[in-house]
Amino acid sequence: MIVDFDFFDIPRGMSDPAEIWHGLVRKGVPPIFYTPRNGGHWVFLKYIDIVEGYRDHQLFSNHQTPIPPIEPFPVMQPQGVDPPDHNVFRKLLAPMFTPLAVRRMTEGLQHRANTLIAGFADAGGCDFIEDYAAKFPTATFLDLFGLPEERLPEFIALANIFFRSTDSQVRAMNVTDIYEVLDEMFRAKLREPGHDIASAIVAARDEAGGRYPWQDILNCGFLLFVAGLDTVTNTMAYVWRYLATTPEARAHFRGRLDDPAAFQIAIEELMRISAVSNIYRRVMRDCVYKGIQFRRNDRVVLPNMVANRDPAIFDNPQAINLDRKVNNHLTFGVGPHRCMGSHLASGRS
Amino acid sequence: MYVVANMNICQGHARCEDICPEIFSTDDNEGKVVIAQSEFPDDLLEKVRLAVRNCPEGALRIVKGGKA
Repeated sequence: MIVDFDFFDIPRGMSDPAEIWHGLVRKGVPPIFYTPRNGGHWVFLKYIDIVEGYRDHQLFSNHQTPIPPIEPFPVMQPQGVDPPDHNVFRKLLAPMFTPLAVRRMTEGLQHRANTLIAGFADAGGCDFIEDYAAKFPTATFLDLFGLPEERLPEFIALANIFFRSTDSQVRAMNVTDIYEVLDEMFRAKLREPGHDIASAIVAARDEAGGRYPWQDILNCGFLLFVAGLDTVTNTMAYVWRYLATTPEARAHFRGRLDDPAAFQIAIEELMRISAVSNIYRRVMRDCVYKGIQFRRNDRVVLPNMVANRDPAIFDNPQAINLDRKVNNHLTFGVGPHRCMGSHLASGRS
Repeated sequence: MYVVANMNICQGHARCEDICPEIFSTDDNEGKVVIAQSEFPDDLLEKVRLAVRNCPEGALRIVKGGKA
């Protein structure tokens, strides 16, 4: 039941980090096990258990979950709040990320992509992550929030510290800095609203016609800032590396430019194989779950990249099949907290 | 044949819309599924079936005969 496993310990040069998890599966460790590393936490390895973990929000809370634990940690709205309170901000933000809303953004996103590419096209090459994959999602955030392009370096610097620093003091300061920037931005939107998401959030009213608490508005901004940056950068890196090294895959996409359904099927497969998020939950009460004694406040990791390659669910799961017809991958999660930005992330158009 | 959705568990993945836009779309408010016509023609059976099997929440169901 206890396995010494540190999921941050990815050997240098390992090209597919999913291997650290699949190594465990091959070794035959129990499908639910405990590791004392990173503050101690459980790991679920079976697709079916991971789905149940996502759906059972009464037992597995999304509140205060980072591993290793960070205290205090801002409550992201609505990601860090369980139903029914979760629904308040989910309902407020969801319309901004529906498939139709994303279709309306397509032109802006394409323009952004073309601008970035034009920046290095003449050089004949680029550092894909630094020159494109890190810039694109941050620039998209600036567009959605109606902020000027000149602020790109500032926001990239903030995001880099958030995702890369391992120094707890630096991280605490960084969170304070991000909140200050968000506070200043939302105040500016109150004075001078635009046609952007930040303006829509500050203008929103609850059912009684009142404003939402300022802290909740900041927490929404924080979620939107951090949720769509590193995940997008990393996923892009895996997807483009695969495309760059696999001529048949490039031909597959080129041949389906006029067939959106087939194109989307291929994208879903790249999403399945390139899952980068390992999601955390917190146990709400002492209980015996599937024969295992859980304690209140135990942390649980639901690794999407393991679920997505569970042979009980996916045929030939380690192979990339761009025609995979049934593909219920968990890259965007499942259940009430399912990724709100998924339609934007998978470039639906 | 009819296709029905459990709106309580639909989370707006929109996989059904990708696979069978003839029948499924998503509303622009919450992003949840909208079924254009619950009773669908036989020639769409394969596509609807694929959409049902691709719903990560298991929110869609095909019903024979009358509406469920």
